[in-house]
Amino acid sequence: MATTTAPSRSAGVADTPVKTGGKINAGRVAAWAAMIILILITLFPFYWMIRTAFSTSKSLFSDPNSLLPVDFTWGAFKRVFGLATPAEAQAEGGSGAAVNFWLFLRNSIVYATLSTAGQVFFSALAAYAFARLRWPGRDKVFFLFLTALMIPPIFVMLPNFILIKNLGLINTFPGLILPYFFMTPFAIFFLRQFFLGINKEIEEAAKLDGAGHWLIFFRIILPMSWAPIITLFILTFINQWNDYFWPLLVGANDKVRVLTVALGVFKSQTPQGSPDWAGLMAAVLVAAIPILILFFAFAKKIVNSIGFSGVK
Amino acid sequence: MSVVDTIEPVDRKDFVPGVRGTDKPPGKGDLAMALVFILPAAIGFLVFYVYPFIRGFYFSLTRYNLLGTPHFIGLDNFTKLFQDKLFWNALLVTVEYVLINIVFQTILAVAIAVLMHRLTQSTVIRGLILLPFLISNVIAALVWFWLLDYQIGLVNGFIAAIGFDKIPFFGDAAWAIPTIAMVNVWRHMGYTALLVFAGLQMIPGYVYEAASVDGSTEWQSFWRITLPLLRPILALVLVITVTGSFQVFDTVAVTTQGGPGNASRVMQYYIYQKGFTEGQFGYASALSVILFIILATVALIQLRLLRAGESDLA
Amino acid sequence: MARMRKKLGAALIGVAALSLTLTACGGGGGSEGGGGSEGSAIDTSNASGDVNYWLWDANQQPAYQACADKFKQANPNINVKITQYGWNDYWSKLTNGFVAGDAPDVFTDHLSKYPEFITQEQLVPLDDTLTKDGFNVNQYQEGLADLWKGQDAKRYGLPKDFDTIAIFYNKKLLADAGVKEADLQNLQWNPQDGGTYEKLIAHLTVDQSGKRGDESGFDKSKVKVYGLGLDGGSGAGNGQTQWSMYTGSNNWTHTDKNPWGTHYNYDQPAFQDTIKWFASLIEKGYVPSVAAVTGQGQSSIFAAGKYALTTDGSWNIGSYYGSKGIETGVAPLPAGPSGKRASMYNGLADSIWVGSKNKPAAAKWVEFLGSPDCQNIVGEKAVVFPAIPAATDKAEAAFKAKGVDVTSFLVNVKDKTTFLFPITDHASEIEGIMHPAMDDVLSGKAPATSLSDANNQVNQLFG
Repeated sequence: MATTTAPSRSAGVADTPVKTGGKINAGRVAAWAAMIILILITLFPFYWMIRTAFSTSKSLFSDPNSLLPVDFTWGAFKRVFGLATPAEAQAEGGSGAAVNFWLFLRNSIVYATLSTAGQVFFSALAAYAFARLRWPGRDKVFFLFLTALMIPPIFVMLPNFILIKNLGLINTFPGLILPYFFMTPFAIFFLRQFFLGINKEIEEAAKLDGAGHWLIFFRIILPMSWAPIITLFILTFINQWNDYFWPLLVGANDKVRVLTVALGVFKSQTPQGSPDWAGLMAAVLVAAIPILILFFAFAKKIVNSIGFSGVK
Repeated sequence: MSVVDTIEPVDRKDFVPGVRGTDKPPGKGDLAMALVFILPAAIGFLVFYVYPFIRGFYFSLTRYNLLGTPHFIGLDNFTKLFQDKLFWNALLVTVEYVLINIVFQTILAVAIAVLMHRLTQSTVIRGLILLPFLISNVIAALVWFWLLDYQIGLVNGFIAAIGFDKIPFFGDAAWAIPTIAMVNVWRHMGYTALLVFAGLQMIPGYVYEAASVDGSTEWQSFWRITLPLLRPILALVLVITVTGSFQVFDTVAVTTQGGPGNASRVMQYYIYQKGFTEGQFGYASALSVILFIILATVALIQLRLLRAGESDLA
Repeated sequence: MARMRKKLGAALIGVAALSLTLTACGGGGGSEGGGGSEGSAIDTSNASGDVNYWLWDANQQPAYQACADKFKQANPNINVKITQYGWNDYWSKLTNGFVAGDAPDVFTDHLSKYPEFITQEQLVPLDDTLTKDGFNVNQYQEGLADLWKGQDAKRYGLPKDFDTIAIFYNKKLLADAGVKEADLQNLQWNPQDGGTYEKLIAHLTVDQSGKRGDESGFDKSKVKVYGLGLDGGSGAGNGQTQWSMYTGSNNWTHTDKNPWGTHYNYDQPAFQDTIKWFASLIEKGYVPSVAAVTGQGQSSIFAAGKYALTTDGSWNIGSYYGSKGIETGVAPLPAGPSGKRASMYNGLADSIWVGSKNKPAAAKWVEFLGSPDCQNIVGEKAVVFPAIPAATDKAEAAFKAKGVDVTSFLVNVKDKTTFLFPITDHASEIEGIMHPAMDDVLSGKAPATSLSDANNQVNQLFG
């Protein structure tokens, strides 16, 4: 007797907000007002970044509080994409260093995708073991894995760097990806909490049918956990995409240099120097676009995720 | 003779149909299977976390400047630490930061998640809320460092325009930590909201339907149903955000570098200063070990208090 | 599938175990490469191969690339690869590189960092190699080459360039105040009343209602334009761009001797009186407070038209020119009670890493960098002042061609009114003590006499 795990759309709260009879009441207005204020505070710095990205760096401080771009120019974006000549760049306040944008973009995509995919997958496996399998010492070992969150970064950076160097993997993609490929404590913790919340009856029914743990994991748990897994994927991807210090240490060579490291040319180069603000803001915005695309591609899946009513 | 006794395989021995949990025997249970599932993660854990930690712990017992050889000095670093007023200062300053950061971040994140959940299906709004997380800590700090600048920042320009005194957000000892905390709240509230939101998704709709049939208002449903069922996720969020908060570094490094005076010299910054800038890597390691112990203890308490190992949903 | 996973797992564990042993051997001892070679000369005659060279100033990279191209013409077998990292990342990468055995062969070195590198045995002494190659170490501006001699009297770098301090001024703000540019050429200051210098600064300070600092009714809580800016903070222990030009012209030196002093003089009246006077400028509203300048850099605020004058270094010339709506001029520092002006004098050099795998080529490159062939090229690009006098002249001409008059910077070299950046051990710990102490004094939270206490702490570091 098979149990269907067919989605039950009517049970998904995500679909419809609880109706209050369609009336506009004070609570609803207050809620929207709060939402709008929060959105404005969240967004204002981005407006500022856009406004600065279209300004000329050298003119910025002549009108520091202007809400519009100062001396509107596309120059910053040209510098980011590597299309500006050194003379043009320096005239506007940039440094004139070359940026091989598309290559670095490719490198970032490879680095972020591979490390995220590995991390999410292996962490899911481990999370399942911590959440759903029963074995002695399970919770203690879980806590042990969790403490990896608290290990100070200075402990970890240098030994990992030496290790990668000794393996001969400096300036290679495997070297970049390796420390992140198997797990992070956050990923395991995150998925474990979600797996805990999955209805046990479905699993039990599957076990009654003779399904082993592999089957349960791949055919039942994973599909049911689409929403958290996609969420984790996106959050991890963002972290890997924005990772700066580790790729700076291990992947300085052009063929593996990632975007964040490459766009470091827009930060201040000298002590007490100011950054090439327009270039920096343009760089940050451009670097964020791939993540935005990824997010919006998957956001619908998260939005329309299936509500789980469990056993019919 | 009960039917149960004749049933194979061995792990069904205690199975009583209809009673939850009796199909799992005590003892070894799924150990073999678990080992396989955990293996890749365990390798990563051992090589990239445990080994560096043990190495770091060893360094905490030495005098070491990274480039020579470490000299074993036993617990000297730790005795020095407890008498170091900058250590206690760092602890105090960090705790102040964590409190401000976590309180605001968690409240705002839950509020945003619930608002998103109840008010609107729009993917665009969800994307907008997540935007601050898309830029790195360093960039967020740089942008706010400019916006909040005393002399040429927009915020102070606005404050002066409406007639108040300008505020040295990063330059005043009393304002420095709260400012840094709020910058990080800005950056992380969307991300935390997304985590909570994912948790909200897992709560089945029929629970709310049943409640509303019973006459519960939205507000009541939130407190009586949503929050309790969010427990595993809230536990996750709190442990992660508190741990992350204690380790704040980037924002301080970009803006105040521990100043004014020592008002923002948080633990992680002090550790970095001692270890890399001043070449006292052994002492910095000892500081790190103490920080680790504090974090592990706090996390343990949180997990116990919130009973994070259980879920009312399952 | 499970079995395959187990096999893969075993292989991974094997790799991990192997790498653990390798790490245990290799890590933590960065001196495997050269072991602090005891003065043996490097034979540069058959140098070939790759040389990795790092620098931090992206503005200088084109100049050094041009040098590398010229070098390649003379040495076709040697390939110099230049990599640039911004200032903050540069030192992290370098330190990590030392530890992991991955540092560049040659790198730009800084006076504040190199004492620690010597203690950590990461630099190659150059003396014997230079002697063997007949290299002229006396061809630099006076005093520069000696800056790079360690306490063991060995030479660890060849001077590249130098920098001094001067006053940048906003021409329009001066004109608005009725001040002629020529008035800035002979300013005098003293700790009692600040002399003509303080009078000028007061006159140039303007509050929101238009009142100047030397007029009655001036509101120091509502300053619109400061007569003199403050560079980022209190300047900690060396005050290079903040106050060293005043203490230096008040017959005071940071340490008992320089380089390699072992006793600091922050308890002397000459120092404390100067700092007290400088703090009074802040208190009167002519100079922004330490809290106010925690933020964007001095040159940015200058570009916003909020400072009439600033004291800043020649390495920052580029930041002061080209800003929209601002016309900048350069004037020499004021003279003090000593009767002369005083500018801190700093310089960069190139050093060879002890773990370099290609020391012959590295040495040849360093010699080239320190020779007129390269320094003339650098001078002509007008970004820094090269260390060789003839090249400095070229730089002066190149700056003039760009509309920047650097006479006020170079006058210190010509008149010998420079003093060295303090070079001692324990630089970062001293910074850790002096930074908060000076912050407090300049913020009015502690009197200048509290610096005697800080001085004791500093001197205790030297045992």
